[in-house]
Amino acid sequence: MKKDIRKVRNIGISAHIDSGKTTLTERILFYTDRIHAMHDVKGKDGVGAFMDSMELERERGITIASAATFCEWDGHEINIIDTPGHVDFTIEVERSLRVLDSAILVLCAVGGVQSQSITVDQQMRRYKVPCIAFVNKCDRSGANPFRVVNQLKQKLGHNAVAMQLPIGLESDFTGVIDLLTMKAVYFDGEKGETVRTEEIPEPMRDLALTKREELLDAVSMFSDELMEALLEEKEVGRDLILAALRRGVIARQLTPVFMGSAYKNKGVQLLLNAVSDLLPCPSDIENYALDMDQDEATVLLTSTSEDPLVALAFKLEDRTYGQLTYIRVYQGSLSKGDTIVNVRTGRKIKVGRVARMHADQMEEIETISAGYIGALFGIDCASGDTFVAPGISLTMTSMYVPKPVISLAITPKDHKAEINMSKALNRFTKEDPTFKTHVNPETNETIISGMGELHLEVYMERMQREYGAEVTAGAPRVAYRETITQKAEFDYLHKKQTGGSGQYGRVCGWMEPITDSDFEFDNQVVGGAIPTQFIAACEKGFRNCIAKGPKMEFPVTGVKIVINDGASHAVDSSDMAFQAAARGAFKQGYLKAKPVVQEPIMKVVVEAPTAFQGPVMGSLNQRRGMILGAQDEGPLCVIECLVPLAEMFGYSTVLRSLTQGQAQFTMEFSAYKQVPQSIAEELEKKLNEQKKKVA
Amino acid sequence: MPSPDQPHAADGRTATAVTFIKESYIAMLKTNLTLRNPLQLFGGQSEDILTPGQFGGVLARAGVGKTALMVQIALNSMLNERNVLHISLNQPVNKASLWYRDIFGHLAAGHPAPQTDQLWESLLPHRFIMTFRAESFSVPRLEERLTDLIEQKIFIPRMLIVDGLSFDESIRDMLSELKKLARLHGLHAWFSIRTHRHQDPGPGGVPKQLADVDDMFAVAIELTPAGEEIHVRPLKGVSLAPEHPRLVLDPTTMLLKDTAA
Repeated sequence: MKKDIRKVRNIGISAHIDSGKTTLTERILFYTDRIHAMHDVKGKDGVGAFMDSMELERERGITIASAATFCEWDGHEINIIDTPGHVDFTIEVERSLRVLDSAILVLCAVGGVQSQSITVDQQMRRYKVPCIAFVNKCDRSGANPFRVVNQLKQKLGHNAVAMQLPIGLESDFTGVIDLLTMKAVYFDGEKGETVRTEEIPEPMRDLALTKREELLDAVSMFSDELMEALLEEKEVGRDLILAALRRGVIARQLTPVFMGSAYKNKGVQLLLNAVSDLLPCPSDIENYALDMDQDEATVLLTSTSEDPLVALAFKLEDRTYGQLTYIRVYQGSLSKGDTIVNVRTGRKIKVGRVARMHADQMEEIETISAGYIGALFGIDCASGDTFVAPGISLTMTSMYVPKPVISLAITPKDHKAEINMSKALNRFTKEDPTFKTHVNPETNETIISGMGELHLEVYMERMQREYGAEVTAGAPRVAYRETITQKAEFDYLHKKQTGGSGQYGRVCGWMEPITDSDFEFDNQVVGGAIPTQFIAACEKGFRNCIAKGPKMEFPVTGVKIVINDGASHAVDSSDMAFQAAARGAFKQGYLKAKPVVQEPIMKVVVEAPTAFQGPVMGSLNQRRGMILGAQDEGPLCVIECLVPLAEMFGYSTVLRSLTQGQAQFTMEFSAYKQVPQSIAEELEKKLNEQKKKVA
Repeated sequence: MPSPDQPHAADGRTATAVTFIKESYIAMLKTNLTLRNPLQLFGGQSEDILTPGQFGGVLARAGVGKTALMVQIALNSMLNERNVLHISLNQPVNKASLWYRDIFGHLAAGHPAPQTDQLWESLLPHRFIMTFRAESFSVPRLEERLTDLIEQKIFIPRMLIVDGLSFDESIRDMLSELKKLARLHGLHAWFSIRTHRHQDPGPGGVPKQLADVDDMFAVAIELTPAGEEIHVRPLKGVSLAPEHPRLVLDPTTMLLKDTAA
């Protein structure tokens, strides 16, 4: 572990599905001597990429869980997190970006800025992560890196500037021209390990000069010295340009674009140089924590190992030897035997083993210094917990966790499967905050919820593989919800005074729709119409009602309850009586407030060869989709559309057969919208049938 | 507080009344926004001033407000429940979509958010954005896409907005083909026409880009920046209404300013 924090880089590799993130990571590890053989993600040798350590990942050729590793290049230590591209596993990207200092945005030279690149870019923006871009797959037919540079500007609003020129394209792609050194760089040897530098081929010289001019023009905005040198037409040194570039990147005002083909082993070494030269070290980034003792005042963390510890647990994994907690140390250091405090629970913990991760392998170490990512064993905590040195009370802001949108009922095959299933679910829910599970009290079924069909499918398969829990799944269910559309008053008296201890409580007020939160409760009772000690019971009564709406039994959201009057009885009023009165009042008001059922609407982006545009649009239209637009991207077209999730089950199969397997689509949650009347009636019918069955 | 003795009758009345007020508010909002139809300010014509097969042009230098004015014309059509196919060359769908959201936001400013949001949602199905790369745009290609949409009844447009087409030497042929297509499908179309500072206008002050294809256009409007204002000048087919002797675009909102005395 390096002592000099300026020589440390914590980077993430993120992009759209199949842009080559894992292949690029594999090459990086090979060139930095961390692995001694390169394998392809879905290679014929069946080994799979090193970072895809899960059997399922290797089989499917997709990354499911983010994996951490580290390597050394040019005296710099690079900690890398490889993240999944599929939007169903977006939480993995989210938590990685939360703890990283910078990222490589990988883009496909053919597909360009695709839908998931846009999502990843938004996530980077949320966590203010500086990035450089790598246009991969320059060897593919239809590759056009400069179109991608333009898309970076137009679609993502980046101040993108090409750092290289490709020498040849598609099958003729042989190397790149480095616009910084103005040399042609080729990658020789079986695995591209020998970097050969030559003069720029004559036919490309003029273009190279023009592009270098453009590069210097963009970079000069970040250095007065460079600007002066350029104005005076002096020779500008490499270091001067690099320093200005670095400034622009760290300020997130410049995105240098590199080119290559990871699969064909071209351009990766130059990208690694850029990681060392241009991306920030931990102390370049300002990280803040909230001081819980000072009314959540913001505190700038120092990035020095000598200061008191502040660290964030960002990912948990349940392994055979206990919980493995991935941790990023922001300030101070974390050593074996240290006592640390979990700010959320206030519990003191003694640190046992400390390790650094290299995909699924680990290396035990003594200390994790400030700015580093490591792992702890056997510590019980939740994802997003902050650990600090005793005596301080700082907490890091947590990450954004989207709510699940799809559910599935699962039934274990036998008793043994049931036990294993519960073990598996316990682990998965702890590791993945977007994966939830609960038991439906009426049907006694176990319901799992997640971010998409693939998300749940992967967990089902893992349950079987890793725990031997054989389960059968029911049809997927959409997370419908209810809300009210207008203000309605209620006045409800709960009275039971017919012998025994009586119950008496009256609650008056109104409910109204709100958009910024799920539930609000406002007490405007004056003069003790409802005694203060029963107000909490009223709130509890209302809160209990929103879990299951009176209309269709879906959770209720977007409701504000205001109570302004009521009545009580000196003897017969109790918490229970007011809870019952609140429940009655809710029912009374709710049905008058025009409740509606809402369904999740997904933003679906389909990329297909232009020839299939018609059938694809037809298929989306049939699914109640509202097509926002169609974008012509040369050989491909991109169709953007809003489609109800309920209509998207099994769409991948439909799309495959419609387009001879040449189209792909991504889907992410967009908003909740009211379901059409006919669908609401259908849902009601289904609900009644279900009720009959249960009865 | 309603009397506990007769809560249902009273509440039923309130509920119906509230719904009625909400719906009529949206209808009123729609009418209000329709009244701001920019085309009404030209000689009092209401709604569309073009008939099927006819073309209109909005001329201006780069960055003056061609797209903004065309989006206002499109929004007006959408408010009248007439479908608009917006063809944008070189701009991604999101960017074109943002123009609509922004202009609608300015138009509906001052009205309560829930109602304007609801109205916006109801307008969206009346718009379809199609983007092409300028170099690959051709009328047969557009026709192919349009047929896809119409045959499958996905979207049947009444108006075309063509933004970003380069009015160079070859434009006449393309416009003729587009005219045929427009007549075939009963569409009228608005084009943005980019003029250049360094080019002298033709006879009658008509910019060169339009002068060459003047016969193809029924209506032409020019936007010219003057100080902090953008003047709207009818070039062909329309005239200013007597109550609006001078028409000006507000550069901050890109909406037409009401300059009526």
